[in-house]
Amino acid sequence: MEQANPQGSLETPSEKYYRELLRKNLLRLILTYLLPLILLTLYFCLLYNAVSRESRRLHLRTIAEHQSNFLDLFLQERIINLANLIDDPKLPFPITSSAMAGLLDRLVKSSNTFIDVGFFDSTGIQKAYAGPLPHLENKNYSHETWFIALQAGKDDHIITDVYLGLRQKPHFTIAVRRILEGRYAVLRATLDPQKFYEYINSLQVSNEVNLAIISRTGVFQVGPPPMDPPFEPAALVPPLDPRIGEITLPRSMGSVSYAYAWLHTADWAVTVRWVHQHTTWPFFGSILSLIIISIALIMIVLSIIIFRSKKLVQLQIEREIATMQFEHAAKLASVGELSAGIAHEINNPLAIISEEVGLMKDLMSPEFNMQPTFSELVPHLDNIKEAVFRCRDITRKLLTFVRKNDIKLQPYDINTLLDQVLDGLLIRELATSNIEIVKNYGSDLPPIITDANQITQVFLNILNNAADAITPPGKIAVSTFCLNGTIRIAISDTGKGITREEMGRIFMPFYTTKEVGKGTGLGLSVSYSIIKSLGGKIEIESIPGKGSIFTVALPIKFAEGE
Amino acid sequence: MSDKIKILIVDDEIKFLDTIARRLEMRGLEVAKAADGQNAVRIAREQKFDLALLDLKMPGLDGRQVLEILKREHKFIEVIVLTGHGSLESAVECTRLGAFGYLPKPYELDQLLEVLKEAYQARLHKKFEADQEKTARIAQLAMGSSPLSILREMRKLDDGEK
Repeated sequence: MEQANPQGSLETPSEKYYRELLRKNLLRLILTYLLPLILLTLYFCLLYNAVSRESRRLHLRTIAEHQSNFLDLFLQERIINLANLIDDPKLPFPITSSAMAGLLDRLVKSSNTFIDVGFFDSTGIQKAYAGPLPHLENKNYSHETWFIALQAGKDDHIITDVYLGLRQKPHFTIAVRRILEGRYAVLRATLDPQKFYEYINSLQVSNEVNLAIISRTGVFQVGPPPMDPPFEPAALVPPLDPRIGEITLPRSMGSVSYAYAWLHTADWAVTVRWVHQHTTWPFFGSILSLIIISIALIMIVLSIIIFRSKKLVQLQIEREIATMQFEHAAKLASVGELSAGIAHEINNPLAIISEEVGLMKDLMSPEFNMQPTFSELVPHLDNIKEAVFRCRDITRKLLTFVRKNDIKLQPYDINTLLDQVLDGLLIRELATSNIEIVKNYGSDLPPIITDANQITQVFLNILNNAADAITPPGKIAVSTFCLNGTIRIAISDTGKGITREEMGRIFMPFYTTKEVGKGTGLGLSVSYSIIKSLGGKIEIESIPGKGSIFTVALPIKFAEGE
Repeated sequence: MSDKIKILIVDDEIKFLDTIARRLEMRGLEVAKAADGQNAVRIAREQKFDLALLDLKMPGLDGRQVLEILKREHKFIEVIVLTGHGSLESAVECTRLGAFGYLPKPYELDQLLEVLKEAYQARLHKKFEADQEKTARIAQLAMGSSPLSILREMRKLDDGEK
């Protein structure tokens, strides 16, 4: 593993933390504000679309129905035109060709769709004719479909589909049959489908629809050129039942929707469809404005959200900076505290040395005439030595407190480190002192990047304190676990606990509740600064008289390294 | 009354306490030792002391509190504060609380003896001043009319020291 610069690695997690904070904040606000708004907008769009689709469908159906009624009326009028002619008592019978011109004149006066008019007897020969195609006179129509159908049908009139016939031009026939003076007679007129279509279009209320007429056999009779020319087979024949309805072409034919209505007078169906068939969003304009308003709204909310979260993070950073400044001040204060503490802690053993030296001088001085033996002097010399070592301990711990340079960061398994501390140092001492050690190690803990010496020292300090707090018999429990992205090492004891007052000063250098010479008051302050430098923290819970729990929390992110 | 000067030494550093006590005993002082504040107050109530050497930093009752109690309970005791802390602020505070002197550890024994001498001197001065005041007061009281009220007033002057 490479050696990481502790300063460098301390910077990155905090930046990362803020980015993460901003990201999480944004996400949360977007989820709370924007998502419901978007969903609501979508819902209303869909609803609007469905409603408008339905209304368009009904509208189309109404148009088809109206048109079929108009056409029925028109065709009935044409039949009546013919019937009026043939039933005219003034009409000479059989009708002569010269009379026919007058008849045609009367027909064209009622509708310009009439092309010509002809008179047939039972043989099917066109006896008299008036119109643009005089050569049709005397032609035999007995094999024409319409003639046979009229003769065989129960109705006294017929309207044919559009066909080419003898003249080889598209037209359709309206014919009425009568028995005049005991003889079978047929008056037949042909109509121009083009003019008929023009008439239909002149009726049209809306120019947003295309209209066509389909025969029962599924052939276009008239329609808007060039899309639906006559004689083209229609893609879909409307069903006879119901007589008014809607059909939608299959997807392969463009999913076009039609409304249709069957005529009563002819075997024709009127079909209508919207000119702008392919706009899946009908009334696109209003939808567009809805979308624009929604986007504007979303933008406003989004900018508020971004502004708010940035401000929040800014506040957090400011607070952090304030905390850092406070910590710096606290550090300076603790340096002052430290020097006063050092003075006291070192001056006391120095006073002992000075007194012991003075005493030995007294003992050996002729003034008091004590004449001490060597063994009498030894305890005093030992006291001096002990005092010297006390001073050395303090300076050594002070170095740890101040020095942070030769840190070796490596990945360690926290449980192994704890075991080393417990096995190597403590269990032997504790076994004799009637203190039980309980290990509750978590499994699958990620490795932690740390300095073994430093972290060992922290555990040792806390464990030592725990042992000192206990009046045997007692128990120390060591547990490790992961919580909220940190590895936690909890060391709990059944000791005397920590009072409120003590808690406030617990991390202060040279603050100790132990007997003189036993505690330097540096253990926890050193531990605190070590854990702080590793990006972690020490949490303390305590109930006086019951015990304390010291929890060291180390960030896993930091442990994973960069 | 013994002809020895009685001194109480209060310090939680047992080794220091033992050594300084022994050295002062060798020099003819009568020494009592207390390793913490509570003991110091208790011992001072049991025996009367002329002087006291007091450490400031102690567990439990600390030096300042002990100083206050001693000065309140014993009219003529002079207290010299001994401490390793060595800051000016604590020296000033101790003087304000009624300590006669302040000696930072470590010190030379001669220094200590010098301070003890001055402290004892101060004690005597105070005692005699008080005595003079009392003598004058007695003379004043004697001028009064009712013997019984004079008796009562005189009883008040007597601080109860046998």
